[in-house]
Amino acid sequence: MAEEGSTGVTIEFLSKTKLQDKSFDEKVETVIGKVKDNAVLVLEEGWSPEEERHLIENAMEEIDEDFPGIEFLGLTERNSRIHKAKRMFYEKVMNEKYREGITIVGNSRVMERVKKERDAVSFLAKLEEEEE
Amino acid sequence: MIGRLRKILSNFFQGAEDDISIGIYGPPNAGKSTLSNQISMDLTGEEMSNVSEVPHETRAVEKKEKVAIESEDGRSIDINLLDMPGITTNVDFKDFKEHGMEEDDAKGRAKEATKGIVEAVKYLDDVDACLVIFDSTEDPYTQVNVTIIGNLEAKDIPILVLANKTDLEDADPDRVRDAFPQHPVLEISAKEGENIDKLYEEIIERLS
Repeated sequence: MAEEGSTGVTIEFLSKTKLQDKSFDEKVETVIGKVKDNAVLVLEEGWSPEEERHLIENAMEEIDEDFPGIEFLGLTERNSRIHKAKRMFYEKVMNEKYREGITIVGNSRVMERVKKERDAVSFLAKLEEEEE
Repeated sequence: MIGRLRKILSNFFQGAEDDISIGIYGPPNAGKSTLSNQISMDLTGEEMSNVSEVPHETRAVEKKEKVAIESEDGRSIDINLLDMPGITTNVDFKDFKEHGMEEDDAKGRAKEATKGIVEAVKYLDDVDACLVIFDSTEDPYTQVNVTIIGNLEAKDIPILVLANKTDLEDADPDRVRDAFPQHPVLEISAKEGENIDKLYEEIIERLS
């Protein structure tokens, strides 16, 4: 993803507007494709546990000698009553997915020291050292 | 919830091949296979899984059917015990080389491990109850663990969280309680067999 000759990590932000017209399968395909190129994606939407599970399954199916898998972080409140009420309202009344939150996905060779808390997440973005 | 309860009750009365399936979930090296062996040896006299310091020793779901659990007051249930591969989001063959494996063996193990993880994830649809086990010396509040628990909660699958490895000096079971306060937590040492009788009581209390 980084330009030839550069040594940085591309961090790409995808707005909810850009994401809203894509099916979930399309999103996962896009995410895995970019992550395999060493980008870290920040999505302006929260994913459900079922969607996160599909992300894991898809990542597993893509793993090979060059791609060791992903790290991902969701910053979404799930267990508060307000969240549950909002989620129920969106799904039962508005008939759409409740997507408050953000989701971060990156190549596991790029994302290190991943730390998750209830209201904060952090990681160290690192480029893999070239093998001699 | 009512549907699942009905299935559990139906299975309970029909017996035979529809015994209650209990999956043991958790990250790699949390002690899933050690616990499976502890229960299986205790109740059937046979081990069911290999145990290793190298991550991803369990790369396919190991099953032990018709394991009878009895409580002190005489209640009993038959369960199918499922030892799941540890779920993670990445499997790097280079990590296995650091444990002394040859490159081809490491690549083969990584391939098998990814298949095992997919199998374990798919089983989230088929288990009736879960023991989710964590290493008490590690931070349990990771994204994968939150995702596993979130999937079980979404399906109303009963969960008992186990804070394992309490025999180790730096074990901190309260960290497990703090991470998942919405679920009951039982402190155990699968290796030493500590609190396993209490685990049986909890299983019977919740499922029979």
